[in-house]
Amino acid sequence: MQVVAELEPMPVAQARAGEAAAWDALFRRYQRPLYVYVYELVRDEQTGLDVVQETFIAAVRHIGSLQADDKFGGWLFGIAHQKCLQRWRRQNREASRQEELAGAGAEYETSPAELLIRREQETRFMELLTQLPVPQRSVLLLHFIEDFSLAEIAGITETGLGTVKSRMHYAKKALRKLLEENP
Amino acid sequence: MKTPREILLERHQAIEPRLDAIRREVLASRWEPAPSNGLARVWQELFWSCRRTWTGLAAVWVVLFLINLSQRDAASARLAPSQSPAETIMAFRDQEALLRELLADRIPPLEAIPARPFEPKPRSEISRTTAV
Repeated sequence: MQVVAELEPMPVAQARAGEAAAWDALFRRYQRPLYVYVYELVRDEQTGLDVVQETFIAAVRHIGSLQADDKFGGWLFGIAHQKCLQRWRRQNREASRQEELAGAGAEYETSPAELLIRREQETRFMELLTQLPVPQRSVLLLHFIEDFSLAEIAGITETGLGTVKSRMHYAKKALRKLLEENP
Repeated sequence: MKTPREILLERHQAIEPRLDAIRREVLASRWEPAPSNGLARVWQELFWSCRRTWTGLAAVWVVLFLINLSQRDAASARLAPSQSPAETIMAFRDQEALLRELLADRIPPLEAIPARPFEPKPRSEISRTTAV
């Protein structure tokens, strides 16, 4: 199992220089988290795989646009997020999936590692995740999978920090409610 | 007890081989070995990179060639019996000579036929008027 915090620096500089082994290491590190994120948004296996492939190709092609090497993960997830949006726009489903949330909510203070879910709650947790509106699901997944900060999530989803805080607040509230209902 | 991350990643463990295949495919397409000699490089850059376009063009040319070929065959079949003007004149003279030999006693020689004097006819004024 991969850990959230990286002990070794990722070979982003080598990847920039065009080293295939560096790209292999980067893709190997992110392939499953990226797939999980995309799959949990689109809920389709083949679409998830297609988006991961498109993201990898775009990453190799546009690595020059990455500002800071330590932001590689967020940058990669941002590409995948945009690919999902493009697909939704193409299918004219975005309007029904997007939910506008007004006002900013409370700060999200707890780390994803602090939230522990018992085995008997796992299925319910996944169901809840599926039931959440896409914007809330997106911020929750990015927080859970890669422990991205709110600012990083705002960058990935190209939304305002206040909106991300609000979405995170409502998603977290729904999750807490679940855990309280099924102690 | 598990973290949400652990739950999510474990749920999608089975997809790992397919993700490995995608990763290998992307890397192979990006870092495939460059052709060693110049001819292979030209082939790769000029033809192989847009092979679908070239194949489509080749297919169109084959169709056009076949249509052209079939029309040429039909035209040549129609024109086959005809001869050149020189051959036609020669054949006509041969036939004339043969006919003359066969009918030598019935047709008077050309020298024996008196030549008719040329009498110019008046030009028609009607046709000129109508033409105007």
